[in-house]
Amino acid sequence: MILLEEVWRTFQVGEAEVGALKGISLAIRRGDHVALVGPSGSGKSTLLHILGCLDRPTRGRYLFEERDTGSLSELERSALRQSRIGFVFQFFHLLSRLTAAGNVELPMMFAGVAPEERRTRAQEALRSVGLAHRAKHRPDQLSGGERQRVAIARAVVMGPSLLLADEPTGNLDRASSREVMELLERMNADGLTLVVVTHDPDIARRARRVIRLSDGTMEEEAP
Amino acid sequence: MRFLDLARFVAGALTGHRLRSALSALGVAIGVAAVVLLTSLGEGTRQYIVSQFSQFGTSLIGISPGKVKTFGVPGVFGGTTHQLTLYDADSLEHLPGIQKVVPVVFGQARVEAGGLGRDVYIYGVTHDASAAWKFPVAEGSFLPEMDPDRRASLCVLGPKLAREIFQGTSPLGKRVRIGGAGFLVVGVMEPKGQFVGFDLDDSAYIPVASAMDLFNLTELNEIDVLAASTGAIPGVVEEVRSVLTARHRGNDDFTITTQTEMLDVFGRVMDIITAAVSAIAGISLLVGAIGILTIMWISVNERTAEIGLLRALGLTRQGVERLFLLESALLAGAGGLLGLLCGLGLGAILTAALPGLPFKTSAGAAVAAVAMSLLVGLASGWFPARRASGLDPVEALRAE
Amino acid sequence: MRAPDLLRFAAGALSGHRLRTLLSVAGVGVGVAAVVSLTALGEGARQYVVNEFTSLGSNLLIVMPGRVETTGSIPFGGVTHDLTLEDFQALVGRIYLIRSAAPLAVGSETLRHGDLGRTIPILGTTASYAEVRHLEMASGSFLPRRDPEEAGNEIVLGTKVARELFGGENPLGKLVRMGVWRFRVVGVAAPKGRSLLGFDMDDAAFVPVRTVMQAFDRRTLFRILLEVRSRGEMEQAKREVVRLLAERHHTQDVTVITQDAVLSAFSAILNALTLALAGIAAISLAVAGVGIMNVMLVSVSERRAEVGLLKALGATDGQVLAAFLAEASLLTGAGGLAGLGAGLAAVKILTAVYPAFPASPPAWAVGASLAVSVLVGLTFGLWPAYRATRLDPVNALMRR
Repeated sequence: MILLEEVWRTFQVGEAEVGALKGISLAIRRGDHVALVGPSGSGKSTLLHILGCLDRPTRGRYLFEERDTGSLSELERSALRQSRIGFVFQFFHLLSRLTAAGNVELPMMFAGVAPEERRTRAQEALRSVGLAHRAKHRPDQLSGGERQRVAIARAVVMGPSLLLADEPTGNLDRASSREVMELLERMNADGLTLVVVTHDPDIARRARRVIRLSDGTMEEEAP
Repeated sequence: MRFLDLARFVAGALTGHRLRSALSALGVAIGVAAVVLLTSLGEGTRQYIVSQFSQFGTSLIGISPGKVKTFGVPGVFGGTTHQLTLYDADSLEHLPGIQKVVPVVFGQARVEAGGLGRDVYIYGVTHDASAAWKFPVAEGSFLPEMDPDRRASLCVLGPKLAREIFQGTSPLGKRVRIGGAGFLVVGVMEPKGQFVGFDLDDSAYIPVASAMDLFNLTELNEIDVLAASTGAIPGVVEEVRSVLTARHRGNDDFTITTQTEMLDVFGRVMDIITAAVSAIAGISLLVGAIGILTIMWISVNERTAEIGLLRALGLTRQGVERLFLLESALLAGAGGLLGLLCGLGLGAILTAALPGLPFKTSAGAAVAAVAMSLLVGLASGWFPARRASGLDPVEALRAE
Repeated sequence: MRAPDLLRFAAGALSGHRLRTLLSVAGVGVGVAAVVSLTALGEGARQYVVNEFTSLGSNLLIVMPGRVETTGSIPFGGVTHDLTLEDFQALVGRIYLIRSAAPLAVGSETLRHGDLGRTIPILGTTASYAEVRHLEMASGSFLPRRDPEEAGNEIVLGTKVARELFGGENPLGKLVRMGVWRFRVVGVAAPKGRSLLGFDMDDAAFVPVRTVMQAFDRRTLFRILLEVRSRGEMEQAKREVVRLLAERHHTQDVTVITQDAVLSAFSAILNALTLALAGIAAISLAVAGVGIMNVMLVSVSERRAEVGLLKALGATDGQVLAAFLAEASLLTGAGGLAGLGAGLAAVKILTAVYPAFPASPPAWAVGASLAVSVLVGLTFGLWPAYRATRLDPVNALMRR
């Protein structure tokens, strides 16, 4: 489902050119659960952003669901993010002025889904993360774990095939972390491809594949 | 905190948000530019009108029949039962302080020559009109010196009238028909242009007695008196009043208008118009002030932590307040200067494009515009500055 | 993204910053209020003039002696051919398109009763004048019907004259003196107020036309007022009047103006004035626009993370642009509405204080000011919104 061929990503920092990714080649199968690990600055997040079509490789090819993303327009890439890819962030990134349900509705709003249908689907997504009773609450009335579960509901509400999580438990206590990871794994078991960036060896251990990045190159570890 | 340090600190804060500061200043600049432009147009118009009036000299005094101020222009209806006559004009001739007396009759008639004709104003005057009104003759001579009550078939044409009916050939010595009677052209005037709606170049001058015949009048429309000097005007006005009142059996039934009076009235009217229009343009200054208020408010909120730090480092409440007041005054002041320059620049472009445009910036207005913008800055900075100085330093520090 | 979603999203973003939003709305509001109330004033002035003219009677032709080419409409001063009562009789007798007609001869003189005196315009006319000018009587009747060539000793006073000369006394049947002439008061006209050109109809008196011509030694009429049977026949009537008088005078030496010509000239001037004032006031809208742009730029940079998130959630550049544009135009649209409300309220207060002044903003100004305020939002919001779409989502998300 995901195929990276010799992907490079370089940034211009002042005069110097810094390579964040140096020739990554990687294939991820549908329904896989992959952990990306490595020290800060190793290129994990950059790789995740490229996988999520938020960033483009400087060189190399990225095929998502057999389509070369390099040839897609900005509009087509937006459409991919809208319907095929879900994001979960370390800092949740919920809009504080919207309710939990309102946040979950956002991607459907961009997709032009009718309000009635949006409401039912958001409610359903919240129920699936166990937060149906918190739908009317604003983010600041929710605990960290609850916020992240709202973010997950938002990420999957459009029925994506790929879920990208950037340190999803980085800001959570142990109990909430476990809850969130169990939720993600349940979705993975239902067929959702899961890619998790993490520092936490415990979290990484739960993945089927662990890919270690260091200084822009990768090595695969046996689980 | 020393003022210089304060200023440097504030300038640093402003240049830190270049775009934001520029746009805030731009808001004020647009307002100031509008005010400068409009007051300059007003001042230009005022000076234009002054020059229009003073082209006749400031020591000219007009006497019209009737005392009716309700009509605006006295004598519109051609007088009253108490008329101004040639004898009245004659009686003023030798009064002290009077240089020249010109009896005036005017009306409209058709001037024709060689198949071409034109309906224009005809002025019945005497030889002295050219000198009293400062209307020089371009070709030939003005009406000859003679008794005001003598008729003569002589005329002087305005340049436009001469051009229209003689088509470029010299009219001197030619004959024209005015209202059916024959006249000999003895002169052509120099171009003088418009005066409050009257095209002075599209007219003809004939002896006053002939004009009274032509228009079937027994009275004058006006008597113009040239005082020897501007200083002599009040005395002359008194003399004229007492002589004419005596002649009219004790009735003060005429109106004396001096140039300075007219100028005063027009000046006042223009001042009011300029003030009103500038006030309307000043609304933009108010809106600019609201813009600065908004940005300063945002800035105080953003820099809560910075304010906490400054307080922790020992800056007083008053110091914080001053900091933000100075910041907004600088913003608005810069906008004011920019607006002044833009206003002057636009004015220069406008006058280059439309040379007839009366445009004159008075130094006072320019200074006032910039001072006003500084004031706008202080006023709109007051509220945010109060808020900044009112922040609790402990709370503020916790903001980040 | 659906339009209601877009608006709700934008409104949500704005309500997060109440004060900032309020100030931005106020900026636009002040500008729109200024435009609305100034156009209302201009329109009121225009309406006032139009009313004045229609009160003159709408099918009115005004014939005046004399004709001048450059000055255009209204000649004054002497004329070579008089406009006589015979001319008037000829017009009435021979032009069937005329419903009624009144001659007008004017002089000014002091009217006395007992010890009291007042110098006013004396209008000489006939009984038809009351019909032509829609003159109503407060008491008594207007001048009696009789041959215009006959003099008479009846006088009709304006309300102000009646008050000044008679105080509380009933003037009907009383005698007033004018020089050597004696008149008997037959009526007092109802208040008509200041008419065009500052002519105060309440401060005047009416006597038979022949009498005025004798008393003031007038050979020419000041005006002939003609009421044409219907509006459609105005042009034809005007042509016939000009032709008939040219025939009688052997030359074309009168000026005939229609109500419409004068009215449209006045209307055009006042419209231009209104537009100019509205334009000057609209400068403040540009200033408000700059303010909005500033606030929106701040808002975009504050909400980098949000923009990044929206993009990660699949919002297209177009949707991000639309969201911020909707925000800006909501701000200015709300400002427009608020300004419209404030402007209308100001106009209401004005009309409550001066009920005679028909100030109301023209429909175009209301529509245009709302449209322009939204347009200001779209224009000045464009750049900030564009900057939002250019934000790199990765960078925007990484920052906290």
